[in-house]
Amino acid sequence: MRAVYKKELRSSFTTMTGPVAIAVMLFIAGYMFRTYNLANGLSSVIYAVFNSSLIFYFVVPILSMRVFAEERRQRTDQLLFTAPVRLIEIILGKYFALVTVYTVPVLVLCTLPVVLRPLGGSTTALDYAGILVFFLMGCAYLSVGMFISTLTENLIVSAILNILFVAVTMMIHNAYSMISGTVFTSMIFFVVLSVLIGIAVYAMTGFYWLSLGVLTVLAAGSLILSYMESEFITASCEKILGILDFYSHFESFVYETFSLTDIVYFLSAIVVGIVLTHASIVRRRWN
Amino acid sequence: MIEVRNLTKRYGNHLAVDDLNFTIGKGKIYGFLGPNGAGKSTTMNIMTGYLAPSEGDVQIDGVSIVDMPEKAKARIGYLPEIPPLYTDMTVREYLGFAAELRKVPRRQIRERSDAVMTALSLHECADRLIRNLSKGFRQRVGLAQALVHDPETLILDEPMVGLDPKQIIEIREMIRDLGKTHTVILSSHILAEVSEICDTILILSGGKLRASGSPTELAMEQSREVVVTVTSPASEEKLLTALAPKLVNGKVRFSSGADGLVRAEITIGKEKIRENPELASDPRKFVSELLAQSSCPYYSVEVMRSSLEEIFLELTGEQEPDASPESGKERADESSL
Repeated sequence: MRAVYKKELRSSFTTMTGPVAIAVMLFIAGYMFRTYNLANGLSSVIYAVFNSSLIFYFVVPILSMRVFAEERRQRTDQLLFTAPVRLIEIILGKYFALVTVYTVPVLVLCTLPVVLRPLGGSTTALDYAGILVFFLMGCAYLSVGMFISTLTENLIVSAILNILFVAVTMMIHNAYSMISGTVFTSMIFFVVLSVLIGIAVYAMTGFYWLSLGVLTVLAAGSLILSYMESEFITASCEKILGILDFYSHFESFVYETFSLTDIVYFLSAIVVGIVLTHASIVRRRWN
Repeated sequence: MIEVRNLTKRYGNHLAVDDLNFTIGKGKIYGFLGPNGAGKSTTMNIMTGYLAPSEGDVQIDGVSIVDMPEKAKARIGYLPEIPPLYTDMTVREYLGFAAELRKVPRRQIRERSDAVMTALSLHECADRLIRNLSKGFRQRVGLAQALVHDPETLILDEPMVGLDPKQIIEIREMIRDLGKTHTVILSSHILAEVSEICDTILILSGGKLRASGSPTELAMEQSREVVVTVTSPASEEKLLTALAPKLVNGKVRFSSGADGLVRAEITIGKEKIRENPELASDPRKFVSELLAQSSCPYYSVEVMRSSLEEIFLELTGEQEPDASPESGKERADESSL
């Protein structure tokens, strides 16, 4: 794990990736700090931190698009995966290197409340809790981004999928009422979801009829349920959408409420990303 | 020792490796020979643990690569077809990383990197970025990476592809040297490469093992004909009398070129080869001695198609390159002996 971690960290800083990612993050965070705290005189940095979440659109693809995609493209994965090292060690080595790069600007964010204090800022523990959640949210994005990079060896595709994921998780709360508002839209949502699951089953197993069967059963099930249990279907639609809703889990900290649920939420997202990365690489070995 | 048992690999409906069985002993050079798509790379990728087999197992010194991959992988050095190089590292950094990844003890990393760089004459480019190295040097760095943890077994996938003739000779010499202290398994689709440096050849085609053995054994077991051409200023009769008594059941075809020289295409039959297996790999000495004994002058003796080539072509199901009927146009007469 150490070897991979050191190599990844070194390559982040011998190429442009690390410095560019850090520069983008500091620029945006600095701009938000100037706007909210220095220009408008807010006493807490939480709004600046909250609005800095814009940086995920840039930083997540820059940092995580190449993690495994580039190894596959250059065939260097053959060195990693034939070494006497467990796969999880390779994954964690790479992941911790990503997190290390991302930690640099977050540490800079941590100095902002201190800077603000002589100017009349009111620093509370909750400011730091906000920064912590901001950090965990980024870690969750990097973890899922790492998984996305195992899906393709094309860096552009990897980057676009990463941006799409950030966009969906940041904006889905706006679409709640639109999708789960009526029984009809919820039903359509579940049919689309069934198709996606069918495609995923096909990609994982390669059995055409099995995937088609799963798709049909799920789609039929959602059609029947939406006629019989319309309330259930809208409620579960909202729940499923909620899984992808990074934004709302982050937002609660702005209202100065420390919520353990949200911290657990992001920690689980990190674990899910790592588990998916592992599964995706193992699957490639078997196919 | 490497044991491959019932190894099968399926990609969807395509069978890349089909129930492969063989054993690789210690301290020799083995060659996988087969046309492109024969399953050589897939087999090597499974043996090194990069891919998982659909069925079957590979045991390295009794340790299964499927059940205990970390332990088995530590005993192997692998150079894939495309050397897995990080082009933004220097050679020294890269070897240091490979050594650490392969669990070489921290204190020995420098020493091991230096040792392999010396062995493969890489010292002059130790601090250059791999990106800026020539293909030949990159191949050497790839080989160095496979050697850095001092494994007993080296698996090299097409180690000579894409190199120029001088580099091929250098790499071949390196492999031959390594073969004295390591078990080396290499793959190639070129017969001459394999028959030159390997002690044992495994011929693969369509994911199956078609034949195996030393070049001489293969030629003996499979016994094919060998074709030699002789260019000579002597008459056809003289050539016939010189060769006829010794070529049991052989054939001689004559054709005369514009330069007034006679070209004789001599086919040495299976029986003769079975009697004298060395003829299979190189019959030139035999033919030239026959000609010399009866003071028959000649300018050249060349092997058209060795017995091994015949075997290779037949086992891998490829068409003979020169089997078209018009190639017989020039042939004036044909006499059986």
